[in-house]
Amino acid sequence: MEVGAAPPPFWAGGPAPGQTYIPRALGHIDIGPRGTGTGPATLPAGRTLSPMVTGTSVLGLKFSGGVMLAADTVGSFGSLARFRGISRLLKVNDSTVIGASGDLADFQHLRQLLEQMVIDEELLGDGHSYSPRALHSWLTRVLYNRRSKINPLWNTVLIAGVYGGESFLGYVDMLGVAYEAQSLATGFGAYLAQPLLRAELEREQDRDRLPTQEEARELLERCLKVLYYRDARSFNRYEVATVTEKGVELEGPLTLEANWDIAHVV
Amino acid sequence: EWTAEPVSTGTTIMAVEFDGGVVIGADSRTTTGAYIANRVTDKLTPVHDRIFCCRSGSAADTQAVADAVAYQLAFHSVELEEPPRVRTAARLFQQSCYRYREELSAGIIVAGWDPRRGGQVYVVPMGGLLLRQPFAVGGSGSSYIYGFLDATFQPGMSRSQCQEFVARALALAMVRDGSSGGVIRLAAITEDGVERTVLAGSDLP
Repeated sequence: MEVGAAPPPFWAGGPAPGQTYIPRALGHIDIGPRGTGTGPATLPAGRTLSPMVTGTSVLGLKFSGGVMLAADTVGSFGSLARFRGISRLLKVNDSTVIGASGDLADFQHLRQLLEQMVIDEELLGDGHSYSPRALHSWLTRVLYNRRSKINPLWNTVLIAGVYGGESFLGYVDMLGVAYEAQSLATGFGAYLAQPLLRAELEREQDRDRLPTQEEARELLERCLKVLYYRDARSFNRYEVATVTEKGVELEGPLTLEANWDIAHVV
Repeated sequence: EWTAEPVSTGTTIMAVEFDGGVVIGADSRTTTGAYIANRVTDKLTPVHDRIFCCRSGSAADTQAVADAVAYQLAFHSVELEEPPRVRTAARLFQQSCYRYREELSAGIIVAGWDPRRGGQVYVVPMGGLLLRQPFAVGGSGSSYIYGFLDATFQPGMSRSQCQEFVARALALAMVRDGSSGGVIRLAAITEDGVERTVLAGSDLP
């Protein structure tokens, strides 16, 4: 900016008094959309306003000794199950795994950011690594800031990890809403799987304990089966990530067996 | 009205990898609305000697991105002093397609041969995801052949089997999809070069 030039308007792109307000994205160059010279402005680079290839639910559950995440391996292009071998669980470091639903191109972008962060941190060589809680906090800030610029990363992410003997399970979505709980689910899972997970946890709570690893695994698989029955965008191939004191174990792709016996009864 | 419609390569595009290279194919129809603007389009665009891209979506967008990537690859290849990797080309496409995802309408398949990894197929669908697959289809016509592909594809096909597979699949899609048609353009990319063929009229399976 030249010396003495007037500062740019505080509220760029706002409504002109008396005129029809056509929202314009802040700070972009005024290029007309293809084919026409006038009309609503196009948005600046990289804004995700419509998710394209999406992933469905991710489930998370704490058990005694760690945390477990499960997600199917399909990327849906609308209603088409287009990419049937996509991994939606990412091992970040030896103490954390994340699972994402929503736009998978944005998840790939997140994956690149995270992998670079982890590499930079290893290069520091100070023996410290990102804790799951720190990653959750970082993700919350990133996603909230992106939404505040009306340029969200269209993902809902679950972060699971074990650090310093304590297990962690957190949730962040594209609006920057973040919380922790003992059981979490995104997408359809929030409606179908969460009640099942919570019921099991409450039962265990009466005996003052968390489920064992085998029980948790069985419960997650049962929930995935329900989701496969009832979620039209799901698939019967899935992955499971287990984090314990010993580290991260990523299993998959595994196949769900569906039970159609009731078809003969009905 | 047709002047307001963007020129689109409503399309069927396909690429399959085999041991030693890839076979790519596309139809040849470009439409503005319901009018066929070009019935002999070449949607198989080279971005380097042994790396091609198959374009679907908006004709203008894909041509622009392909030109930009071809330039970047040429530069990169000179710096590298060896043929660029197919993965690099795919990544360059992905960077543009992801960055400008709200402005572009481009579904691209990048396929080629490089000395390091042989034949590879990468898909960059709308939205800017990057994924490597043994075979990939794209474009409006692809919807009609997913069933055929699921039933017929087998890993480990030879070059001629791949060519037949691609030709059959494209022919089936072109019959059913109004936005695909014309001739089938095939190309086989291997270490020895690129061999292009055209299947027209009575040659179509």
